[in-house]
Amino acid sequence: MKHSTPQQDQSLQDRFGRAVAARLSESTETLPYDISERLRAARMQALSTRKAAQIATAPHLLVNGGAATLGFGEGEGRLWHRLAALVPLLLLIAGLIAVNMLNDDFRAKELADIDAAILTDDLPPAAYTDAGFVQFLKSRLDQAQ
Amino acid sequence: MATEQELSDFLKSVEKRAFKRSVYHVRNDEAALDIVQDSMMKLVEHYSHKPAAELPMLFQRILSNCTLDWFRRQKTRNALFSNMSDFEADDLDGDFDLLETLNTSGGSNQTESAEKQTERAQVLLEIEKEIQELPNRQREAFLMRYWEELDVAETAAAMGCSEGSVKTHCSRAVQALSKALKAKGIRL
Repeated sequence: MKHSTPQQDQSLQDRFGRAVAARLSESTETLPYDISERLRAARMQALSTRKAAQIATAPHLLVNGGAATLGFGEGEGRLWHRLAALVPLLLLIAGLIAVNMLNDDFRAKELADIDAAILTDDLPPAAYTDAGFVQFLKSRLDQAQ
Repeated sequence: MATEQELSDFLKSVEKRAFKRSVYHVRNDEAALDIVQDSMMKLVEHYSHKPAAELPMLFQRILSNCTLDWFRRQKTRNALFSNMSDFEADDLDGDFDLLETLNTSGGSNQTESAEKQTERAQVLLEIEKEIQELPNRQREAFLMRYWEELDVAETAAAMGCSEGSVKTHCSRAVQALSKALKAKGIRL
């Protein structure tokens, strides 16, 4: 039995490994033509997917029905495109809130006008709570008809 | 980010070795071609933005994963399939001497005779056969380490195991190959 240091063992192991690898490399040089061609085709196909991906990220035309619009590609551009699509919705919500506020203002103003008319009238407001006065108004109304 | 030319050159430089490695694993040319094509597609689709220096290790990892996926699909297709050789203990011979299988005379690059060429082809076939006989992990570690020339850390990263495991797999693979080749009277 021979004794050797771990370093020597490692060195021998590496030499053997490299010697085997060198022989294996010879085998790749003599691959059949059809295999080499199919590998080349596979490589070209793989590389074409990169080109396709690059084209997909570039701006492109979106055709909807008869109208064509400039759209965004993938990634960050797509995110901005989605955010931009929210703008009309936000405008609509803001418009509805404004209309609601204006409506409330008109209603308050209308009520204020009625109150002002009652308070500035010759007839005191307390008259409207008097049962006899209400009866008087009804009978006046009946006579008028 | 790797340029298209760098990516193309890289794939060109590894495709044949990748094919042979897959053949050693799956023992089927068609399946090996599919695995190499899948690996190339995945590398380009998912990692083409990486620097060119990172491509070799990434490709080895993808190739290993694609090979594993192929075995998984085969296993699903054929429930009887199982590779028990991975679990076998290696029968290592302590008295074995690597030097005996290394031809130290140094080869010359002179023109070979037809007889010598045939002999070399025969030796190559025997080596390939013995490599195919290795357990999967040992074969993977050995080929990555010595054929793809990755260092121990890179091999460990590509195989998803520790550096110690890579060293053990390589050592066992070398012992097994060396022993088998010696038994056939082959010296490298």
